[in-house]
Amino acid sequence: MTRRVAVVAGGHSKFGKRYDATVRELCAEAFKPILDEGITQDMIDASVLSYAASQFTGQGAGSALIADYLGLHEKPHLRVESACTTGTASLRAAWGMVASGLYDVMLVLGVEQMNRVTSAQATELMARAGDMRWEYPYGISFPAFYALMASRYMHEYNLPHEVLSMIAVKSHHYGAQNPKAHLPREVTLEEANNAVPIARPLNLYDCSLITDGAAAVVIAAENRVKEFTDEPVWIKGIGAGASEMMIQDRPSLTSIPGAKRAAKAAYKMAGIEPKDIDMAEVHDCFTIAELIAYEDLGFAEPGKGREIVENKENYHDGRIPVNVDGGLKSKGHPLGATGISMTYEILMQMRGQVQKPSRQIDDVHYGLAHNVGQSGQFVNVIIFERGW
Amino acid sequence: MSKEKKELYLGYATDKAVTPFFQRFLEALEQEKLMMSRCPKCGAEYLPPRQHCQKDLEECELVEFPEREAKLYSYVIVDFAPESLASRAPYVVAIGEFPSGKRLTAHITNLMSMPEIGMTLKLAFDRIDDKKITYKWLV
Repeated sequence: MTRRVAVVAGGHSKFGKRYDATVRELCAEAFKPILDEGITQDMIDASVLSYAASQFTGQGAGSALIADYLGLHEKPHLRVESACTTGTASLRAAWGMVASGLYDVMLVLGVEQMNRVTSAQATELMARAGDMRWEYPYGISFPAFYALMASRYMHEYNLPHEVLSMIAVKSHHYGAQNPKAHLPREVTLEEANNAVPIARPLNLYDCSLITDGAAAVVIAAENRVKEFTDEPVWIKGIGAGASEMMIQDRPSLTSIPGAKRAAKAAYKMAGIEPKDIDMAEVHDCFTIAELIAYEDLGFAEPGKGREIVENKENYHDGRIPVNVDGGLKSKGHPLGATGISMTYEILMQMRGQVQKPSRQIDDVHYGLAHNVGQSGQFVNVIIFERGW
Repeated sequence: MSKEKKELYLGYATDKAVTPFFQRFLEALEQEKLMMSRCPKCGAEYLPPRQHCQKDLEECELVEFPEREAKLYSYVIVDFAPESLASRAPYVVAIGEFPSGKRLTAHITNLMSMPEIGMTLKLAFDRIDDKKITYKWLV
């Protein structure tokens, strides 16, 4: 017998190259707005720290450090690691603990600090999330895994690179309106399409950012929600899926099988269909990933994702607004924080609190977060429902 | 007296975790033999080889993989490389698909023009330095 669980509060640090902070200060920045809403440490039973890659900082036992820094050191805590899907994996773990009755109220906090190393070192560390025996020796960087998907997708569906650049233009258009974004500026289609190559066919503007930042949400069991808010956002469906470790072993590279499995499970649990979704936060670690996400989530048929892009259906006033906070591309991608940042954005959109009307989506009832780990080995899809 | 283990590693960036099973793979590779593995219980085959069968976790045996030509299934040209391979960039990583359907991921080292999906790749072998060896693709 599970209990319903809602997101009742959230906080978000500024994303960027945060040389002024380490993980502890970033976490404090994300947690402070929650305290400012009148929620105190005493009201939180336990916490989960979403911290994907301690090798970037060298700090071990991360959840102990952060719980102590935030005044939660007497409350149980643990850390989750699932590469880039760590945020929603953490939320899933916490949901289970609250739904089961183990705890009533939990803090789920995501953080990453990636800029204490050089870009080449960061690329090196992320390449080690490939198979260390068979992939790593060949220098398959994180962008390279997605470039392998892009090459195949472009071949099978005759996709011009310009469509990918249109996704980057959209991301930057909205990132420019998000004060928390790492790179809050517009880019033109020409700039995006002609940028320096990183992992061809992907160029600089196809790639998400190496970002420092943190985001936090508080979740509560249904019998406790009213103590926190009149505007709860229910966790309506949680789907998780997985795919082969080595990218060469996937039957197809034009879709992420784990994402399709996760989406199917999430829709089933929520009892809704893709057409019911009012907004989506998708894992655009690379532009090709966003295009594939449209198809894996059922917003477009296989090979037809480009129509959403070309018709601007993914803008805030379109059929299916996607990443109107700038996404991983412009808002940034601090690995462990990303899934929680997606959750935060859905919370703010539902509450009508995104500050800029030019990126506020009207009347969001169902929001979806699609959060992919590494190149699709593990995926979490979470569907949220407005509770008022 | 036990035979001294020859120091061999796979590929350009070295993962130094070499098990006895992997060592046998590397010593065969040095003789220009690409080994796959086969489960003695269920017959499942793996390329690259796994020591344990994915289905029943039986100990697999190494057997020579006979195919030499593949088609380019997908590729990437890595311009901005991980630190360990920075001096080699740009390089082409290709997934080749053999007629049997088995695939292998390796560098194409002799391309003079842009890769084309479907092009023929020939399996070849290379000694990178006195300790590092690899399989690779030639067009």
